[in-house]
Amino acid sequence: MRPLTFRKLVFECFFLLVILFFVVVVALKFGAVPVSLYALGRDLLRVLLGQTSQISSDYGLIIQNIRLPRIILGIIVGASLSVAGTSFQALLRNPLADPYVLGVSSGAALGAILSLIAEPHLALPPAFGALLTPLCAFLGAAVTITAVYFLGRRQGQIESNTLLLGGIITASFLSAVIVFLMSTVNSSNTRGMVFWLMGNLSTSFQKSIYWFLAGGFFIAAGVIYSTANDLNVLLAGEKEATHLGVDVRRVRFVVYMAASLLTGLAVSVSGAVGYVGLIVPHVMRMVFGSDHRTLLPTAALGGAIAVVVADTLARIVVAPNELPVGAVTAVVGAPLFIYLLRRRFA
Amino acid sequence: MKKLPPSRIRVVACRTLVVFSCAAAPSRAQSANAPSPGEPPAFREVVDETGRSVRIPQPVRRIVSLAPSLTETIYALGLDDRLVGDTDYCDYPPDAKKKTKVGGGIDPSLEVIASLHPDLVLATKSFNRLETTQSLDRLGISSYATDPHTVADIMSSVKTLAAVLGVPEAGASVAEEMHHRLDDLQQRIGSLPPKRVLFVVWTQPLISTGKDTFLADALRHAGAVSIIDSSQDWPQVNLEEVARLQPDFLVFAESHSGDASREMAKLATLPAWKIVRAVRNHRYAVTSDAVNRPAPRIVSAVEDLARQLHPKAFAEKSDDAKKASGKVNPAFHPMPFMLVSPGHAIHAHLSSAGGCACGR
Repeated sequence: MRPLTFRKLVFECFFLLVILFFVVVVALKFGAVPVSLYALGRDLLRVLLGQTSQISSDYGLIIQNIRLPRIILGIIVGASLSVAGTSFQALLRNPLADPYVLGVSSGAALGAILSLIAEPHLALPPAFGALLTPLCAFLGAAVTITAVYFLGRRQGQIESNTLLLGGIITASFLSAVIVFLMSTVNSSNTRGMVFWLMGNLSTSFQKSIYWFLAGGFFIAAGVIYSTANDLNVLLAGEKEATHLGVDVRRVRFVVYMAASLLTGLAVSVSGAVGYVGLIVPHVMRMVFGSDHRTLLPTAALGGAIAVVVADTLARIVVAPNELPVGAVTAVVGAPLFIYLLRRRFA
Repeated sequence: MKKLPPSRIRVVACRTLVVFSCAAAPSRAQSANAPSPGEPPAFREVVDETGRSVRIPQPVRRIVSLAPSLTETIYALGLDDRLVGDTDYCDYPPDAKKKTKVGGGIDPSLEVIASLHPDLVLATKSFNRLETTQSLDRLGISSYATDPHTVADIMSSVKTLAAVLGVPEAGASVAEEMHHRLDDLQQRIGSLPPKRVLFVVWTQPLISTGKDTFLADALRHAGAVSIIDSSQDWPQVNLEEVARLQPDFLVFAESHSGDASREMAKLATLPAWKIVRAVRNHRYAVTSDAVNRPAPRIVSAVEDLARQLHPKAFAEKSDDAKKASGKVNPAFHPMPFMLVSPGHAIHAHLSSAGGCACGR
């Protein structure tokens, strides 16, 4: 294995961080409500210094309470999906694998839709009512992850192809259940559900949720990063990896669980934002190489950039209305993927 | 005997129907061409609101409704004994729930519709699909579609529909009653500045209603103006725009009572929504699902909203209100609509909804 120079990793990450910074500034500047760069800088400084009580203008409040939280959500969702996609591609040794291939998003969507159907019949305290849908989405994702894990086992061991097929079938079964539910419930409620299925970052959450999401991301991504060397060896093949002393079973289990957790977290707050987890890892692999020690962090930053850019487009293209961000990532992502595919084989 | 597979049975059934309608058509057409004096023609050719020209057998004795609004209209016209089928969503008046169900608005069962032998199937463009009416055409079943975009459209639609169904007088009096009540309302609140409202279809993501919908028009009649100026019918709106425009009220149409107050309490805990002053101050108005339906009952929903948005206009003139309602009711009572939806039910709803409005 080529030795990893710390300087290379820092340089690549710094490069992407600079891009992310500019993307965030642009995302903060543009939106349905115009904000001047001066006012933006002043209010951001106040947020950073913790003097939020001094922000009084409507614009400042819009930046602080709507735009900034949404961008942070986009960063976490993008990074999670991209790291999860990278992990699944390595784990399943399949370039088509993405965070949703194993049915996690369908499970989360089913959980969310069940909560939307049940909510009017439950008398919940308001603070918890706002949390119910993401919580149920996460539970749906967790149940699906566990079920697919057991489907993918043969003789006590995960097998890539069995796991993949089990996941795809589970996903299509759950989608069928969703269609069934949506065609039986009262029609006025389906409109919100459809938007939820398409991926959406416009949801607002209590502050604690952002900390929870960030914490979950760093723990799960950290766990995956600790197996980066093993993932590199796994690329050569399972047998080879075993011969080289990698505990393939353990690595598979750990990476599968951590990547699914990342996907579950992302889906539970944003719905299914497609293509990010598929394309960003491929682009990063082409640009920075396929060493997972650099690929994982660069993919995280790349995913964050991609989702923040896509969500900014979703916010401004038809402003003051907006598009579901999943529609933007799909429209941009599918042609991009075909381009990358052609270039690779040209 | 060998059992036929279901698909074969359907084909046979369709053929029988087609043959039947072909056989029936010439004789009816002849009588339409050369009506004997004093006898009405057996067929009437009309153009419906979607521009399709439709042949409607006369008189219309058996009706299937494919939308809750049309079911309500039929009841308002006093034709409920001719209604032989409606959809799963037709829940008003309560009696409508007892009719034979043909399924949903998007996917009604053609087999059930055909088995009801309707003279006419009623559809509405926003709730049903064109394919359904085309399939009905192939089965030889006439269908008539409405497409109202304003409250005035709803009134004229009711009148036209009543004429098509052979009860023009009932249509005229229902429309006139609607007109009368709206005029009355206009006199009370017409001079007041309209309240700026956000109509909430869904909160996360925020979906509101566009300016070209009958809903936006209903808001205008209720002395309100939607802050959302979109040509999309159901736009997903950026919350920033709402925070910038700061509506006076949020307006909800709830199907379960208590939904709106729960939703408001929920929104008040979220940072992005807290900066909308109407959310912070719990200023919202609730109306029933009727506001979502282009049917005569929409007037009650409009009145209901107006009461909550302009309480002073009603408080000052409460004596006049009694007189006005005394004036309205006698003209209204002989009509079957009032018999199935008694006035006191509407008023009970009004007072309960008005009580929880605005949180003050």
